[in-house]
Amino acid sequence: MQVEIIMPKMGESIQEGTILRWVKNLGEKIEKDETLLEISTDKVDSEIPSPVSGIVAKVFAKEHDTVLVGTIIAYIETDASISIDTYQDVSPEATAKKPQEDIGVPQDQLSIVQDWEQKRNAQRFYSPLVKMIAKREGIAQRDLEKIKGSGSNGRVTKDDVFTYLKQRERNAAELYSNDRSFSILSVDILELSKKYPSPKYRIVKMDNIQKKMAEHMVRSVNTTPHVTVVDEADMTEIVNFRLSILEQFEKRQGFKLTYTPFFAYAVVSTLKEFPLVNCSVEGDTIIYKNFINLGMAVASPNGLIVPVVRNAEEKNFVDMARSLTDIALRARTKKLTPNDIADGTFSMTNYGIFGSIIGTPIINQPQSAIIGVGLIKKRPQVVTNDSGKDSIGIRSVVYLTMTFDHRIIDGATGGKFLSRVKWQLEHFDFQSVK
Amino acid sequence: MAERQYDVTVIGGGPGGYVAAIRAAQLGMKIGLVERDKLGGVCLNWGCVPSKALIKSAELYNAFKKSQEFGISHTGLTYDFSKIIARSRGVADRISKGVEYLMKKNKIETISGTAKLIGRNSIEVTKDGKVTDTIKSKSIILATGGRPRSVPGVTIDRKKIITSTEAMSLTEQPKSLIVIGGGAIGVEFAYFYNSFGTKVTIVEMLPSILPIEDKEITKILDTSLKKSGIDILTNTKVESVKIDHEVTVTVSDNDGKKDIKADLALMAVGVQANIENLGLEAVGVKTERGFISVNEFGKTNIDGIYAIGDASGQPLLAHVASHEGIVAVDHIAGKAKHGIDKLNIPSCTYCQPQVASVGLTEEAAVAKGYKVKIGRFPFRPLGKAMAIGETEGTVKLVFDEKYGELLGAHIIGSEATEMIAELGMAKALETTWEELHNTMHAHPTLSEAVMEAAGQAFDVAINI
Repeated sequence: MQVEIIMPKMGESIQEGTILRWVKNLGEKIEKDETLLEISTDKVDSEIPSPVSGIVAKVFAKEHDTVLVGTIIAYIETDASISIDTYQDVSPEATAKKPQEDIGVPQDQLSIVQDWEQKRNAQRFYSPLVKMIAKREGIAQRDLEKIKGSGSNGRVTKDDVFTYLKQRERNAAELYSNDRSFSILSVDILELSKKYPSPKYRIVKMDNIQKKMAEHMVRSVNTTPHVTVVDEADMTEIVNFRLSILEQFEKRQGFKLTYTPFFAYAVVSTLKEFPLVNCSVEGDTIIYKNFINLGMAVASPNGLIVPVVRNAEEKNFVDMARSLTDIALRARTKKLTPNDIADGTFSMTNYGIFGSIIGTPIINQPQSAIIGVGLIKKRPQVVTNDSGKDSIGIRSVVYLTMTFDHRIIDGATGGKFLSRVKWQLEHFDFQSVK
Repeated sequence: MAERQYDVTVIGGGPGGYVAAIRAAQLGMKIGLVERDKLGGVCLNWGCVPSKALIKSAELYNAFKKSQEFGISHTGLTYDFSKIIARSRGVADRISKGVEYLMKKNKIETISGTAKLIGRNSIEVTKDGKVTDTIKSKSIILATGGRPRSVPGVTIDRKKIITSTEAMSLTEQPKSLIVIGGGAIGVEFAYFYNSFGTKVTIVEMLPSILPIEDKEITKILDTSLKKSGIDILTNTKVESVKIDHEVTVTVSDNDGKKDIKADLALMAVGVQANIENLGLEAVGVKTERGFISVNEFGKTNIDGIYAIGDASGQPLLAHVASHEGIVAVDHIAGKAKHGIDKLNIPSCTYCQPQVASVGLTEEAAVAKGYKVKIGRFPFRPLGKAMAIGETEGTVKLVFDEKYGELLGAHIIGSEATEMIAELGMAKALETTWEELHNTMHAHPTLSEAVMEAAGQAFDVAINI
């Protein structure tokens, strides 16, 4: 069998390498891991070991030739029975493989090259400090072997490891916040203005917040299989109760009592019973949060924003109402701090205030579910009295929708959760308001 | 007048210049080296090496003074000051000849005279007021070194107010000496003269002598030198110096002004670069605070012109100059990967007890934001220290708590300057406290203190 040797990729930005010297020439025997040739790139000089034992069967590049990364430069014949006399030099143009444009090296070959590099790197010396940092920072041996060393003889220095760690941190951050596949493409506004000429059209670049919202939504939809369930809750008692204490409440607490805290309180109470709904998913792992930071979607002058009531599980009704009023006010007056919008565990959106009765909200990643509240509206409802007799009554009814991440929350859990919220609203503990 | 052409021309034949020249020769370049005085520069002729010869005499004399302790008695112990000086000069001459030999061996053309840049690639050499050579050179390395500087308003007359050069070639030993400046040079001469009975006073402006060293170490040195009879005035500024038959130095501290008198005053407040009349302005080479500005490879703002050693600024040490010379030549040859690691430069003071250090002091490490672990081990309990009667000393190691990295090492005591090499190597190889602690150190040696100090930092030292 003939194994192809390609010009390895010696670094991210390196596109070509120069052959300094063939250590083994055409027809010579070579052992696995023995140096086959020396190459030089604009960054470093390296020895390239043979991946297999065999005979140098074909050589496509002369010394001092510069070839593209991914080009086949030689073949090693592993079958010892084949006579070396049959081997001849073949012109490189005829067989040289051009690298694929997007990744520089054909995938299957890339892995071979990486294997070599790793094999070579596995034998190199790591300073005690580098090993200690690797241990403390949880760098696996195979990742350590991938780090390019800038010290003498390619030795990895502590600076190399710190550079790697910084990159790793950045990668992790980008994985979530800046994943390219979800990012909004920047288009050339000049080109567009030709296609959509003024005054017939008006073209405007999204501002940062609009762009963030766009990215956030696309990422959420692409990450999570969304499922939405709808239920209705009879709000008549809450409506009557609220009306009865409205004035008194405002006088005592200094702010107006809206319906929002009733929904929030019911949701938080329910979340305590359904920890799975208050979690997030990372890869194949579920992260349960032992606190509830309730996000509340607010239409601010800058656009949609979701400030958070922190540790909502510890708040009584009045505290909850005050916190909600506070964040909503600060969102509308652009006085939120970064801390106000961070670390939400579950979100609520109230499109009822715009008159909508049903909506299907999109999950606020990395959370697992969101609840939507529609308009509270008087409807003719079938009411069953205590003795089981049905009649039609005028009731204040709201449609609640819950969108959940079907990767971890199934329909049963979602449905039960929502009906529990409904129950909380219909059996509201009015003592907690006083 | 000769016209010459080189790949690299080195101006100055000190430890920076001559090493650069040899390195360039090794890489196959054609080299010229211009020196206006003697090969070897200040270091070999008037600095590091001859001063160590003087200090050896002082150490021997001190050893004889306490030889009774070791069961050896003698009568009529005397010394001949002029012979001590003569031996030191002899050492300097021998080593300068050694450099001449190295130049010949490496086929480096040496040109005697004073060089001046007249273009980016041209140099003019003058001797006795006449232009003797013009040189065309692809690259130029400025290795012109430095000279002692003075305090403002005080002129060095080299008779009563002397520099290190005179201090190592006096014909007559002064009865009293005021050393202005408590850095390495000042402290070494103070030790030397005090050993032979000269009344020495050190005047230092900063709060401690050897101000760049770790505070714990300098405190020990301060106590030791005072015990040996040296007066040390810290936080003390020199206001003026008056010369008549003796020298009167007016100093001021928090308590006000006072006069101190002595036969001579030694100016040892630091070194300034020799960058005047070098043609820097004509070519446009940038300088900053009296030193030539360079990047990590020694390159100036002008392509092809490099500066190394004292000419290019801190730290002003011979071994730094040599290393910078090698880095600069490698950079010219396109082979340099890294500049020198400024955090791994050993610093040595050769008084007794000796002081040696590498890396960060505890204060500097904390200031850089490290959480530090400190390991200390005194010489006193070491078998070797007791056997040789050198129990005065301590090793102090500074580690990063998080990863156990060795950040700095500070040693005071006999042989400190030899012991520091191990720690420079340890730092260069990025060891942690564990390797230092687990590397077997021969018993009995003073270096056991290094191993024990590493253990002590993490509470596993044995002999304490």
